[in-house]
This record gives sequence, C-alpha cells and structure tokens, in this order.
Amino acid sequence: MEKIFTINGQEVKVQDYKHTGDSVSFTLNGKAHYYMLIARDGQELILDNGGRFKAAVGTPSRDGESMIMANGREAIGAMAPKKMKKAGAHAGGLTSPMPGKIFKILKEVGSEVKKGEAVLILEAMKMEHSIRSDKDGVVTKIHYKLGELVQGGVTLAEVSS
Amino acid sequence: MKIKKILVANRGEIALRVLKTAKEMGIKIVTVFAEDDRNLPHALYADESYSLGTGTLADTYLNKNKLIDIAKKTGADAIHPGYGFLSENAEFSAMVEKAGIIFIGPTAESITLMGDKIGSKNALQKINVPMIPGYHGNDQEVATLAQKAKEIGFPVLIKASAGGGGKGMRIVYQESELIEAISGAKSEALKAFSNDKVLVEKYVVNPRHIEVQLMSDTHDNHLHFFERECSIQRRYQKIVEETPAPNLSQELRLKICETAVQISSGINYRGAGTVEFILAPDGHFYFLEMNTRLQVEHPVTEMVTGHDLVKYQIMVAQGDKLPVKQADIKQTGQAIECRIYAEDPDNDFMPSIGKIDRIGTPTLRDVRLDCGFLDGTEVGVNYDPMLAKLVVWGENRSIAISKTIHSLDEVLFLGVKTNRDYLKRILSHKEFVAGHTHTHFIPDYKADLLPRELDSQDLADLIGALSFSDKKRKTSGTAAALRNPWTELTGFRN
Repeated sequence: MEKIFTINGQEVKVQDYKHTGDSVSFTLNGKAHYYMLIARDGQELILDNGGRFKAAVGTPSRDGESMIMANGREAIGAMAPKKMKKAGAHAGGLTSPMPGKIFKILKEVGSEVKKGEAVLILEAMKMEHSIRSDKDGVVTKIHYKLGELVQGGVTLAEVSS
Repeated sequence: MKIKKILVANRGEIALRVLKTAKEMGIKIVTVFAEDDRNLPHALYADESYSLGTGTLADTYLNKNKLIDIAKKTGADAIHPGYGFLSENAEFSAMVEKAGIIFIGPTAESITLMGDKIGSKNALQKINVPMIPGYHGNDQEVATLAQKAKEIGFPVLIKASAGGGGKGMRIVYQESELIEAISGAKSEALKAFSNDKVLVEKYVVNPRHIEVQLMSDTHDNHLHFFERECSIQRRYQKIVEETPAPNLSQELRLKICETAVQISSGINYRGAGTVEFILAPDGHFYFLEMNTRLQVEHPVTEMVTGHDLVKYQIMVAQGDKLPVKQADIKQTGQAIECRIYAEDPDNDFMPSIGKIDRIGTPTLRDVRLDCGFLDGTEVGVNYDPMLAKLVVWGENRSIAISKTIHSLDEVLFLGVKTNRDYLKRILSHKEFVAGHTHTHFIPDYKADLLPRELDSQDLADLIGALSFSDKKRKTSGTAAALRNPWTELTGFRN
C-alpha cells in the first residue's frame, strides 16, 4: 500500500506500508524500513529498527500536524497528504508571521501605502514586528482590531494595487 | 532580624528558584501570578499565592503598589524581585523599604547609579576601573557626537544611555554612515526609554563578554565568585553561558575578578551583583555595565563553586555576615547553561507558542533544569520566550559539553518549537569545542549553524514514530505488557 506523509511541509511517499500491532514496515526511496514499538509512555516512544532510539509525537494542532521527534531529529508532520493553506490565499493579503497581538494599526482602510511600508505592528513576547506591504497600493481591509490576539499564518490586512 | 516569609515579585523559573532556597532555609514563600499564569508552577507550589489580575505587565507583575499590598497583607517581611521586571527599579526598592519590608537586593542608590550608563562610568573612572574609550558627555548635539566619534576612531558603537537589550544601538564602520546612525539611535532610544541620550564608544572587534559574580554583605565583605563567559548571544541576548571561561589565563582571570571587587567595594555595594566586561583579543578588558540583581545565568556559578547565591542574598538582606571568605571560594570543574527558548532559530529566531505536551527530565548526574512550566501548560504571547535553563556540570569542559548535548535530547518540550537543536549545533561546533568564543559567534558561523537537512534515514525514523502516534490502535499482547514501564516505576521516582 502506498501512503503519503507530510514532513516539514513536504510530501513523502512510502510504498508497501504495513502497520500491524506493534510493528510498521515500509519502503522509502527504494530502501526497506522496519520499526518495532518497544514501549510507550504517553506520547514518548521507544522504537527499535535494529537499534533502539527514543521518539515522541505531540498532540496534533488544529491543522492536523504534530511535532515529531525521533532519534534526536525534530520535524512537524502528519500521516496525510499536504493540505492547501486557506489563510493567506487572498491576493495582496498580509499574513501574521507568528501568533501575537495587534499592537498598532499604522494605516487605516483607504490609506495609500508604498511597498515595504508598515501597515500594522504585531507584538509577541515583548517584541514588535512590523507587517509591511508587499506592493504599492491602497489598504482595502484590516481584519483585526487593536489589541486582538491573532494566530500565526492568518491574513491580517489586504492591500490592492 | 531573621526573614520568615518572602514574597517573590516575579514569575516562572526564577520564582521557583527562590522558592527552593527558601524551603531549605525554612522560610515561607508567597508568590503572585497574572491570571494567564494561573496554571504555572510558580502559582501552585508556594505556601501562599495571589492573583495580580489581568491586563498589561504594568497592571500585574510591574504593579508596585499591588505587590507591596500583598506583602503587607500576607505578613511577608521581605520581597525578592528575581531578575527583569522590578529587580533594577530603584523606586520600587525604595518603596519596599519605606513600607518597612526588606528589599532583597541593593540599595536604591546603587540601582540608580548603575542604571545610568553615563553616570556609572563617570563614577567608576574615579576609582580607576578600565573604561572603553568613548564620549559619555551631556552635549548631545549630533555634530558634537559625530566629532567625538571621529576622534575615537572607527568602528564606533552608538548606544542609548538608559538602554539595554540592543535597543537604540548602532555600529558605525565609516564616516558616511555616522549622521544617520546617530539620529536613528536617538529616536529609537527616545521611543524605548523616553530618553534620547546616547553615548559613543570604541567598538572592539571580536570581543568576549566576561562577567564577574559579586556578593557583598553589610559588614564590608566584598567577595567575588569568579567569572562567567557569556559570549554566545543572539540579538544581543545570551543563550549559552559557562564558567570557568575557556582560554583565559589564571593571571587575567584574577585581574578581572579583582577589578570587579574594586567596583563593589568602591560603591559600597550590598547583595548579589554582576559586573560585565568586554575582553578584547589583546587581553585588555573594559567595564561594560553592572547588573544590580541576580543574573539569569547564576546557576553555572553555583555549580562550580558549590555556593547557593540566593541563600547568600537572603542572609545579606537580613543583616548576616557572609559565611565564607574569598580564599574558600574555588572553581571546580566546568558548568554550562543553555537557555531553552520557545523560538525558531531557523526562521530568524521568531517566537513560537503552543501547549507543552511533555517537558521531559534530565537523567544524567549534576544536571539541573530550572523551568517555569509543567506538562500541559501553555506558552503564550505575553512573556519572554525563555522556557527553561539547562545547567550542566562536568569534571572538565569536554565532559560538560557531552553531557549538555545528551541532556538537550532529554528535555523535549514536545509541542512547542524550541531552539534545542540549534543549541546542540552550537555546542558541537569545532570553534565552540575549542573554546574560541566571542560575541559574533552566531553571525560569523551562521552557515555552519544551519540545520542539517533531513536525510532518507531521518525521514524513515520520523515516519516510524508518527505511525505509532495513533493511541486508539490496538497493541499486541506482548508489547502491551511492556507498554508503560515508567508508570509502574512512579513510586520509585517520587
């Protein structure tokens, strides 16, 4: 059975995926892999693939992706094909690079902005991050109010040229 | 007078740090918490804990009147300010003492003196503390500042007098950039500190940041607990600290430490303090600033000297004599601290948030995790992104490095993006291993510190792990028996 995973935003296809009880086997890039679950403590795992190592999988976020740790490496991933991002899809949308609070709105709807000019300021962890327009144009929408908390990756404002 | 109850005017790991020593001394602890910190351990583990309500920092952890009120109501005879927040606020120190409560820290005069970068330099110049060549004058005309910069010689550093954390700071390499840099630094300083006063200094290329831990009592004993090397910094914030400083001759080490004591005795300091120096590659060192509080990185000093600095702070505050002499204080082995931040080092150190599924516990000998979170608690947007400090002691530097790298894998902070892997890359870097640290380490070795791409084997391991994340999946009989060895051992761990 072919199965598609998403690791760090990239789709990874494996073949001959078989998961029975405490073992899983698959072929990745032509190489066969076999892992056995030796022990589990909540989200922490001990796996064996000829040598034992620690692993852990976090609680999935709203978009279904979890933090995964295995053998000292770390990634974000899901046991599913890549999802198309909804947020930020608007043309001219300015997205939040991280979660934070709307600290300042520098340009109101209808204001002209130049490329690179800050439209609003997001505050996170006591640091201020300017959200800049990616083109010359007019601010057509501001989706949040002053002081509102916003998630990372959402559209904060829109600019049309 | 013996202190019987301390209010800790802080949050997170430092509140817990004070709590630990207080428990050893049989002192009761009162903690405070902003509503969004209600579930964090500092709000749970104290003898008493009180809400500071909601709102901005000014309404909660920086609310001087509210804190003093709680101290009075609970009968606390002392307030420990921790670091950050009100720890270097002279007005608060004075208000606390005026309310008849002991402030565990220096006098308001010392805080005021050292908080003013220009004032402190002028005072210390009089007692022959080496200063970096510079202009600290009151004539703040752009033309004057530019003229002074030219006299000092490029490169020069322009920075806010009242500043810190890199705000209002500019490095200027040539005359053509000068005017713009002065104006930029001034307006940034005005915005950040409501004061546009700047100073101009010689800029040392490849400097090291060496600081000295000081402790003074009120009986004229001014001791040092040796130095810390804090050169590994990102965005002017330390992320790896260690002691003893590598590649530092014993002669220079003592000279630096003795100069620091010259300062604490010269200003008749009280309590814990740290003098920061810039050490140039040629062995010249210059006074940078004095922090009039306990430092974030104080545990490395505790690990190599075996002395509890919080205990001494409390003793000094209640008027005791320090129980040690300078000759009794020795450095043994090597200690390294890594600051674990909720941030993405591979995306310009952007802060991250989330729920911590699992923190994890270091298992090696002489490893300490000072952490202000619990499994299941949330990292929000309102506070500093530091999650914990991993502090490791080893018989020598190479053992300490190995132990730190191993321990970084044990403290997962599953659920939140952290800088753990980045810290491992720093500690494995050949220049760090060789002890060639300087404050431009991170920008200079940026390319070496990039994450290693996931190879096919890494991907397979991650997919293997992900396959077992489904908790609803039935496990076979044999593995079920092995399923949860840790839970069965709970009795032993507690």
